[in-house]
Amino acid sequence: MAMFSQNPLMNGPNYSFSQTPSTAAAGNKEHSFYPYTDNGGSTLAISGNDFTIIAGDTRSTSGYNINTRYSPKVFKIGGTTSSQDDATLVLSVVGFAADGAALKERLDAIVKMYRYQHGKPMSVKACAQRLSTILYGKRFFPYYVTAILGGLDEEGKGAVYSYDPVGSYEREQCRAAGAAASLIMPFLDNQVNYKNQYIPGSGEGHALQEREKIPLPRNEVEDLVKDAFDSAVERHIEVGDGLQMLIITKSGIEEKYLPLKKD
Amino acid sequence: MDTLVAQYSRPMFEKENNYDEDQMDLYNPAPSMSLKFAMPPIAQPSAWLRAATDDHANPDCPIKIAHGTTTLAFRFQGGIIVATDSRATAGNWIASQTVKKVIEINSCLLGTMAGGAADCQYWLAYLGMQCRLYELRHHRRISVAAASKILANLVYSYKGRGLSMGTMCAGVTPSEGPALYYIDSDGTRLAGNMFCVGSGQTFAYGVLDAEYSYDLSEEEALALGSRSILAATHRDAYSGGFINLYHVKEDGWVKHGFNDTNPIFWKTKLEKGEFSNVTSEMV
Amino acid sequence: MFIARSEYDRGINTFSPEGRLFQVEYSLEAIKLGSTAIGVATGGGVVLGVEKRVTSTLLETSSVEKIVEIDRHIGCAMSGLQADARSMVEHARVESQNHAFHFNEPLRVESCTQAICDLALRFGEGAEGEESIMSRPFGVALLIAGYDEDGPQLYHAEPSGTFYRYDAKAIGSGSEGAQAELQNEFHKSLTIEEAETLVLKTLKQVMEEKLDSKNVQLASVTKEKGFRIYTDAEMAAVVERLPAN
Repeated sequence: MAMFSQNPLMNGPNYSFSQTPSTAAAGNKEHSFYPYTDNGGSTLAISGNDFTIIAGDTRSTSGYNINTRYSPKVFKIGGTTSSQDDATLVLSVVGFAADGAALKERLDAIVKMYRYQHGKPMSVKACAQRLSTILYGKRFFPYYVTAILGGLDEEGKGAVYSYDPVGSYEREQCRAAGAAASLIMPFLDNQVNYKNQYIPGSGEGHALQEREKIPLPRNEVEDLVKDAFDSAVERHIEVGDGLQMLIITKSGIEEKYLPLKKD
Repeated sequence: MDTLVAQYSRPMFEKENNYDEDQMDLYNPAPSMSLKFAMPPIAQPSAWLRAATDDHANPDCPIKIAHGTTTLAFRFQGGIIVATDSRATAGNWIASQTVKKVIEINSCLLGTMAGGAADCQYWLAYLGMQCRLYELRHHRRISVAAASKILANLVYSYKGRGLSMGTMCAGVTPSEGPALYYIDSDGTRLAGNMFCVGSGQTFAYGVLDAEYSYDLSEEEALALGSRSILAATHRDAYSGGFINLYHVKEDGWVKHGFNDTNPIFWKTKLEKGEFSNVTSEMV
Repeated sequence: MFIARSEYDRGINTFSPEGRLFQVEYSLEAIKLGSTAIGVATGGGVVLGVEKRVTSTLLETSSVEKIVEIDRHIGCAMSGLQADARSMVEHARVESQNHAFHFNEPLRVESCTQAICDLALRFGEGAEGEESIMSRPFGVALLIAGYDEDGPQLYHAEPSGTFYRYDAKAIGSGSEGAQAELQNEFHKSLTIEEAETLVLKTLKQVMEEKLDSKNVQLASVTKEKGFRIYTDAEMAAVVERLPAN
């Protein structure tokens, strides 16, 4: 079976692209059609027992240039007014800001129309699935964004859904995306999910007992988010300026803006 | 050349295809399954897509799509065992350790996920919808053969456009008994007793081939499925996380847990004496 | 009057000077030729019942399908041109599955009814440039029964594209008598069992044939079991319960 022979890196199923000769010309040539810019920045979402926090820095870069110090990456979705005061869903997008804005506009319009067409507000679960199919609709010309969707589920518990650029998604406890994802995510694994934390002296090898996971209170999560971004700003050039935090609770969405280092 | 000129010299309003898409979103509560996807406005969309998203062809590609996997499924006297790991990688970055790579198409059919995560999720959900419509139209459950063929024909129609999926469809129906099919984005569709798919497939095959027999008891079969994934997570860096285990029977599938590999590894080593090459001493 | 009508009752897209669309009105007449179908909504679920009009002893009664499933939580009964109902039901099924695919939740009963009614006017060209897909209006009416987050619901959808929600509704040839009977007998605290008997009792009054367990069919939509067509045994049991007269 020659099914997997052509992808030595993964040894997994191949891309079914027509096999172009892998000479330099086809391999690394400059493509004249390059519709994307990476605008840097990072986003972060953590869900709690009765709240969800979605945060993002507000710096926008292209290369090493800083375009602006205030360009939000976190948006309220599907409110009934232009101020989005009564929204219950939050979308964060990081990557190419223009695609992110287009995606946000499109999802917002769909969620608003849903309310008229079905006579009820859209649940996060429904919105999560719809966002996935929107992203997949551009499978062959992707939105260059990593999206995170947050809200409260039917039981009132915090819900965070994370996406890849073409729409595969998963509900998670927490997720960091964007330029500093690789800096923030390990910190979250340790501080939110207590990964590799065991009860001292509880045994050896598989007998070790994991530290009990307790739902974090809102003020602690807010501190975690601030710490995560402060750390990322220290070590990543594309992250900084300001931290925008949207906190979704059953009484609505609260917005906080905290300064980050501006160098 | 004419096509090139045509592509680049269209009037501005035609290029605003996103506008059209937005409009369609608004008119249709749920957009129809016309299978129309947005395409980049260029002559060679698939070559462009490859440069933008295929990290094998272009390690610096801007959009890294999650993949890398070990999945397996095998038939035995008591039905079908389906097992997977749960790691998703984008390049060297572990994008997630908790991916559900067994997709529940409906209460009797399972699909597995290898290759592009979004491709598998989307098309297996699409398959689920088609299976449900078949049920409504024909007043009986779809056969695994027919379901797998829907998927195979579908991905074949997208051949050359950049889909990436290696999936198995497992189900038990009264007409076929336990049935297992392998389908990939090249258009391959194979019926068989045993398949392993993904970067860790060879390691899983190693364990599975050594211990497999059709007459395995249910308990033995579940243990073998789990052990084969464990071997793959141990030797394949692109595989890891949790072991997702399912058993498909005539009256539907049963989930047998989503368990962390690490304690299972230590249990296997310390209680069964396997993996004895792994020691705590530095060598 | 008659002359004016004959000039304006051919084109399906032309109003008469009195502001009527005759072809649409005639399509409503077509339903009055159809077999009777009845729906009753209770707090615990909706019951649908139809007469099967077994025209020949050689007819295989199970092949007369006048109650069909749209999704697990929605079903419908029809009266009128059955062939027309097939495309409406197919549309409703696809719409319902499509909604589940895109939103990961079941379609609401009202939205499903709306989707069916959107199709009803497709004999003319749509505002967004959709082509006309039918040469005439549908000749069938549907009773759509379903269960969603708002509880059990019953809708009546007409070929004119209008729909209303009912507690109890009868359509088809015996609809006038049946509706009067429902008007008298319906009350809000009906149980499913009482609704079953009410449906059959009403059908019995308006049917030309003598009602038995073969020439009528019942179905129900409940929260627990979703849409379900009654088996022969269940049918026999309900018919047994009917007061003899």
